[in-house]
Amino acid sequence: MSGAAAIEVRGLRREFRVRQGMFAAPKRVIAVDDVSFSVPAGSVLGVVGESGCGKSTLARLILGLLEPSAGDVLVDGQRLGGMDRRARARLIQPVFQDPFASLNPKRRVRDIVAMPLIAQGTIGTAEIARRVAEALERVGLSPDQGGRFPAQLSGGQRQRVAIARALVLRPRIVVCDEPTSALDVSVQAQILNLLAELRRDLGLTYLFISHNLAVVEHIASEVAVMYLGRIVERAESERLFAAPRHPYTRALLASVLTPEPGLGVPDVGLGDIMPDPANIPPGCRFHPRCPVAVAKCSTETPRPASDAAGLVECHLA
Amino acid sequence: MSALLEVQDLRVTIGSTAAVRGASLAVNKGETHCLVGESGCGKSITALSVMGLLPRGAKRETTALRFAGEEIGHFGEREMSRLRGDRMAMIFQEPMTSLNPAYTVGSQMTEVLRRHRGTPRAQAVDRAAELLARVGITAPGLRLGQYPHQLSGGLRQRVMIAMALMCDPELLIADEPTTALDVTVQAQILRLLATLQKDLGLGILLITHDLGIVARVADRVSVMYAGEVVESAPTATLFAAPEHPYTRGLLSCVPVPGKVKRDEPLGSIPGVVPRMRPGFTGCGFRDRCGQASPACEGTLPRQQAGPDHELLCTLAPGWHGRNAA
Repeated sequence: MSGAAAIEVRGLRREFRVRQGMFAAPKRVIAVDDVSFSVPAGSVLGVVGESGCGKSTLARLILGLLEPSAGDVLVDGQRLGGMDRRARARLIQPVFQDPFASLNPKRRVRDIVAMPLIAQGTIGTAEIARRVAEALERVGLSPDQGGRFPAQLSGGQRQRVAIARALVLRPRIVVCDEPTSALDVSVQAQILNLLAELRRDLGLTYLFISHNLAVVEHIASEVAVMYLGRIVERAESERLFAAPRHPYTRALLASVLTPEPGLGVPDVGLGDIMPDPANIPPGCRFHPRCPVAVAKCSTETPRPASDAAGLVECHLA
Repeated sequence: MSALLEVQDLRVTIGSTAAVRGASLAVNKGETHCLVGESGCGKSITALSVMGLLPRGAKRETTALRFAGEEIGHFGEREMSRLRGDRMAMIFQEPMTSLNPAYTVGSQMTEVLRRHRGTPRAQAVDRAAELLARVGITAPGLRLGQYPHQLSGGLRQRVMIAMALMCDPELLIADEPTTALDVTVQAQILRLLATLQKDLGLGILLITHDLGIVARVADRVSVMYAGEVVESAPTATLFAAPEHPYTRGLLSCVPVPGKVKRDEPLGSIPGVVPRMRPGFTGCGFRDRCGQASPACEGTLPRQQAGPDHELLCTLAPGWHGRNAA
């Protein structure tokens, strides 16, 4: 079983200490709270949730860019903690949201894509040039575009550069953190199609983080819904969208505005209390916003219940 | 019926870019008109033109720009600033950048009323509190004394809306009002705008790139591309029978849960939105269009594709049906 998992996360937890004012004692913010899951090789786990739910922190923990406060991340069966940075880079690579911020503006595209190869320190110049050219072609960029600077490219082309850089070491896993959120709809579709094609052809595994549920539904085989640091529901994509079990999942799905005229804007029923990661409510952390909460939701913390349909953490599910 | 806002043949040039190239649109009282398009298509510039808020150096020409029946195209800054915030108001995408971080919510909200109407402070504060409650903010008294950074994104946008309503405007221009917000909050804000519009009879010009929002809130839609309105129709018509190749392409790009199977490619439009130089003629979409012909380089015919359904394209309405057969 563990041999088949590309990513396995056990009891993962990450705290931050945040100062909220000059003289106030620092507060503990638990961004990721006891999260466990595994992603089989070749599949796509979508992670959805509102801003501040911990999905980007989760991505950085899995990439090894942050140390967990507790718990383990196993990538391809190996513990990430203590792994050599170069070995890690050959296994797992990121694609971030903003291709304006994630590419060095002073370097040419082909040098940006070559950087991970150079950092390995063992690959010859000719081999580097060959693999860069191959990666650029793979993502649909011309050799001519390889000689340009990021500022000379459009947002979609820049995101292709970021994807080429992620693929040049031929990793097994790619962590995509909101990879299309900064792009126009027509360009978003190009990038989603490219990511789907690359996954099929190269047998990649994705952890795909997005606030756009329609995008996640399109690309993910399994979806995890995060709320204030915890996965409150996880299920196969079709099942989650057809029969959501957690009231938060239902609210998230209700707020997706599909292009169907005449339906109006739905009432998501969440009220106007916003989740605050520095102030996690007792009991079920979702209860202050939950439209169907009962008395015990405010006192008793629900336990995650796993069955064949997936996982859900709710007293009422 | 005379429109609340009427823009005819708007042209805006900024430096060496023709940002708007002959756009016309009308917003009726009590109607939501959505202007939809990708970044760089000129939709925000169109809105700023109406408000008289174009950047320095921008050149604006129109054959008509009428607000409530009155021509305002020749108005100077003094006259425009009397209209702005009073009879026409605007809300922007990022409420944090449009609110002043150094002043409390209360002082920013009351300033509008005191400036335009000379309302005494105490009365203006009452009005501000009343409107904060109206936009669904609990404890308005407390919020009036707070600074913008103390509010969440959704609350800030509610404050912006309340501020825009201080003088009972007739026209509200909303430029991507929910783009920076979480989906759950977005739904709440859009519902609020819909309710306010019904209760106050506002005319709303809503600018967005999101076809989901358009479908759910618009009465009428204008699709903009490369500085032109390429298609305009009542919402139901536009989604049921889109004519322009760009509109059709845009609709096929949007992932809809349950519609396109996973791993089947989404529709997409090759290429990127071009930057238009002054003097460019013909259709701005022709380089990305699968139906382009030499005729697309000339003057485009403005056609009626149906009742109240306008199309700017060389193709005859219904072309796609014949092609598919």
